[in-house]
Amino acid sequence: MTLAKIISKGSKYKPYLLSLVILGVLLLAWSASTREPAFDPAGYSEDDLMMQEMNGDIVRDESGEYINNPDKLSAVPGPGRVFDKAVDELRHPFAKTGTNDHGIGWLVMYTLQRFLVGFLLATVVAVILGMVIGMSKTLLMALNPFIQLLKPVSPLAWMPLLLYTVKDPYMTSVLVVFMASLWPTMANTAFGVSNIKKDYLRVSEMVELGWFRRFYSVILPASAPAVFAGLRISFGSALVAVVPAEMLLGELGVGYLSWIEWNNLDIAGVIFAIMVVGFVGFLLDYGLSKIAERFTYTES
Amino acid sequence: MKKNKTMNDPYDHTKPLAIGHTHQGAPLDEASSEFVQNTASEFRQVAASSSKPCNHTGACDCQSQADAPVADGHEAMVENLVEEAVVRSVFPNDIQRREFIRRVGKGAAAAMIASFIPLGDMKAWAADPVKKGDLEKTDLSIGFIPITCATPIIMAEPMGFYAKHGLNAKVRRASGWAMVRDWGINKEVDAAHMLSPMPLSISMGVGSPQVPYLMPAIENINGQAITIANKYKGIVKGPQDMKGFRFCVPFEYSMHNYLLRYYLAEGGVDPDKDVEIRVVPPPEMVANLKAGNVDAYLAPDPFNQRAVYENCGYLFKLTKELWEGHPCCAFAISQEFATTNPNTYKALFKSIVDATYFSSDPANRKAIAKAIAPKNYLNQPVTVIEQVLTGKYLDGLGSVKNVPDRIDFDPMPWQSMGKWILSQMVRWGQVGPEIDFDAIAKKVYLEAECADMITELGYKQKKANYDKFSVMGKPFTPDDPLGYAKSFAISRV
Amino acid sequence: MSYLAVDHVTKIYPSLEPDAKKGDEFVVFENINFTVEKGEFVSMIGHSGCGKSTLLNIMAGFDQATTGGIILDGKETSKPSLDRMVVFQNFALMPWKTAYENVALAVRQSHPQWNRAEIKEWTMKYLQMMNLESAANRRPSMLSGGMRQRVGLARAFAAEPKILLLDEPFAQIDALTRGSIQEELLRMWEATNSTVFMVTHDVDEAILLSNRIAMMSSGPHAELAEMVNIDIPRPRVRSELIDDPKYMQIRNHIIKFLVSGETV
Repeated sequence: MTLAKIISKGSKYKPYLLSLVILGVLLLAWSASTREPAFDPAGYSEDDLMMQEMNGDIVRDESGEYINNPDKLSAVPGPGRVFDKAVDELRHPFAKTGTNDHGIGWLVMYTLQRFLVGFLLATVVAVILGMVIGMSKTLLMALNPFIQLLKPVSPLAWMPLLLYTVKDPYMTSVLVVFMASLWPTMANTAFGVSNIKKDYLRVSEMVELGWFRRFYSVILPASAPAVFAGLRISFGSALVAVVPAEMLLGELGVGYLSWIEWNNLDIAGVIFAIMVVGFVGFLLDYGLSKIAERFTYTES
Repeated sequence: MKKNKTMNDPYDHTKPLAIGHTHQGAPLDEASSEFVQNTASEFRQVAASSSKPCNHTGACDCQSQADAPVADGHEAMVENLVEEAVVRSVFPNDIQRREFIRRVGKGAAAAMIASFIPLGDMKAWAADPVKKGDLEKTDLSIGFIPITCATPIIMAEPMGFYAKHGLNAKVRRASGWAMVRDWGINKEVDAAHMLSPMPLSISMGVGSPQVPYLMPAIENINGQAITIANKYKGIVKGPQDMKGFRFCVPFEYSMHNYLLRYYLAEGGVDPDKDVEIRVVPPPEMVANLKAGNVDAYLAPDPFNQRAVYENCGYLFKLTKELWEGHPCCAFAISQEFATTNPNTYKALFKSIVDATYFSSDPANRKAIAKAIAPKNYLNQPVTVIEQVLTGKYLDGLGSVKNVPDRIDFDPMPWQSMGKWILSQMVRWGQVGPEIDFDAIAKKVYLEAECADMITELGYKQKKANYDKFSVMGKPFTPDDPLGYAKSFAISRV
Repeated sequence: MSYLAVDHVTKIYPSLEPDAKKGDEFVVFENINFTVEKGEFVSMIGHSGCGKSTLLNIMAGFDQATTGGIILDGKETSKPSLDRMVVFQNFALMPWKTAYENVALAVRQSHPQWNRAEIKEWTMKYLQMMNLESAANRRPSMLSGGMRQRVGLARAFAAEPKILLLDEPFAQIDALTRGSIQEELLRMWEATNSTVFMVTHDVDEAILLSNRIAMMSSGPHAELAEMVNIDIPRPRVRSELIDDPKYMQIRNHIIKFLVSGETV
């Protein structure tokens, strides 16, 4: 595949080439804005230099000259620094050097596990409740005030109450994810179910479908696209919630990592942790959309 | 001390041992059992009178976390001590014993005795006395906050102090005091690093559910500082210049809060009206200082030194200048755990006191800094920790200071300290004035138990008593803490 | 006794005006009374808005008559059932099911004791009759309008209902395809000996397919104006039909009725 062919008219790779170009421009801008001037020893006394060295601001390079300590930058780190940090962390992704320091591979797994348990639990509850509410106008109107009251509450606000009652930090983090993923799925499911085209319901009446068959064969597949739309929203909301939940509960995971790096004012580490969360979220969302594809249908 | 290899020992030292049994399987008869017990206590006395366990001479500079300097010399020492103890038991009369040994030679004396006493068993048993003492629980989890105050608790893991006393303890890092408190109350951890007022407040049910808590040992004394943002260099000279400042402290029930308030109040500044004091987790304080959200803080190290390292703050005052030898952080454990697992509790207590004494020795500070700086523990640059622990540091004002006891470690939980803390809690209205100061301090601060533990480990108490001390020049009256609380110009009681 | 009787059916909607009085209702149609014999093909024709679809919905069980009722094979009906399969104007196929699955659903429901093989055999038979074999595994979105309605017809017939109710079934199909589907419908009707009631606005279609045509007047207060007998012999071939004088006679009669609103 030659470059000419890629950028030729109508090539399906053209948009991705553009993505790369944009990425390159962003990286250059980032790099340029975080560049620090080289260290100039002129103007500092011997004592000053010694104290700066003691404080770790400057170090001696191979030729014995003073340079800014590359491990200690006061400005926001540039892409090179973040890349080094990423390589460092990814070199031993499944190491465990102690109770509080597990490799990034483990941390991602812990976060994922917490996230998936809470998300799946919420999905089951939300879909069942959503369907029940969607099928009954009375129920919908009766429960609506409660739903509207609870929906806007940030999932993190539930955390102290949950920790106080449940006590176990792992269950609390799972429940925080649960609270975050519940509402969008429930609302979308109820919406999907209540808006099923009348024709499908008429046909199911006509062929005398029993209630179970009707649910399984008609209502579920008919509302599936709406349910999945809700799931994808919930998904984002849950991922957003799991990170601070980990920070607040001290549970090992990617959120915990960004907190710990922040404690050490290692901004490169924080950026790296952010990127990991973003990447994991991207992969999961991609997987979910692939699953959703199986259940979507076009009407016309 | 060398291993006595000439002794013809028929017993297999590698096999595990049950108390009261010989390797040949037959249980010891009553007389022999009793003898073994006596020998064991003899051994303890001998051990107590010998020097510290580490057989590295001079400044112990063990660089590796893997080889704990303590464990190495231990085994060899124990073996010889057993032999000595056995001989002493057989010949309790000193003169008789010396005569016997002189005639026969120590090795032969031991060999002779070995023919009817399971020496090998006892050596193995004595080498792990606590293990054989039925530890209820050996896998422990201990919560900590990543600050240098908890140095003994933290370094006891990589440097082998828990292992030495038969425990498999792992220290688990929390990100805030509320978290550590909740972990303790919910039994997520078996014991925890806490601020010295916290065992008192938790036992009283102030600011948390009421759970009876104990403080068998103090972690550190001194070790805090007032750090001020660089923009105030040369401007701030005392409390009067701090009016309108935004301060941070790590927790309401902390020495940091009480010392800061005391300092401000002495300068005529009301801590609730003239300044703003916010509770912020220690790691966030530096970032806040850098961002200009706060003007100063009284925090645990390494966050004072870290502000200097980040070139955003300077060390205005060490807290040791306010109260030399003030308590700061604590080793805390629930009463429930201590009563249901008494042997484990004792072993843990020992590990902590042992670790505390090791930490207080200036010769060990550098090695400790290296051991606790990594990501698994404090997650700070080594130079920052080193400056705090060794007391040779940059103060952020252009000089290098040398204050070796900038932070120090002394486990004694003096009840008078507890009463001072209670008096300040009353002074600032955190608790009502009708509390029974004596009873609470006595129940929570285990002065006598710690003293026993220190002796048992063979150390010497650093102070004989702590009845008289002054804070910023004003003496504390332990027999009338309420009066003391009322005696200040600025006080809520 | 007749097979299906529409017995003095009236449909009245209460008024939607906020200040309505008791007399302010909307009478869609009243006293519609006719029968359909077994094996007949009866159409109903009328202006849009005369309520013929409403009547069909009442016959299907999707709606209730205000007064009067529907009697099928001696029993009064109220709910929708497999006895009265409907072919909908907008096809009403389940878009997540394939053509096969849409038909098989009705087959399974109407023959609950059959096993998979039997259902498959029966379904494929009807799909073949409607020339849908190649499209069996496609979803409705991949089918043209004409194909979709063929699936609708296959589904309705495969359930072997007592009567088939067709609600303007070819209104949304282009004129060219309509011709072939109408022929397929005729073939299917003859082959299965079923009873069909169809609502349409296409006069030619009604004459081509039906035994009798019921003419509805315009609403409100619509009523059955006339029942026209189509005594053109079968088989009726569309191309030859135009030459039949009876065809033009009937056609003119009906169109005059539609245009003027009166029967002659």
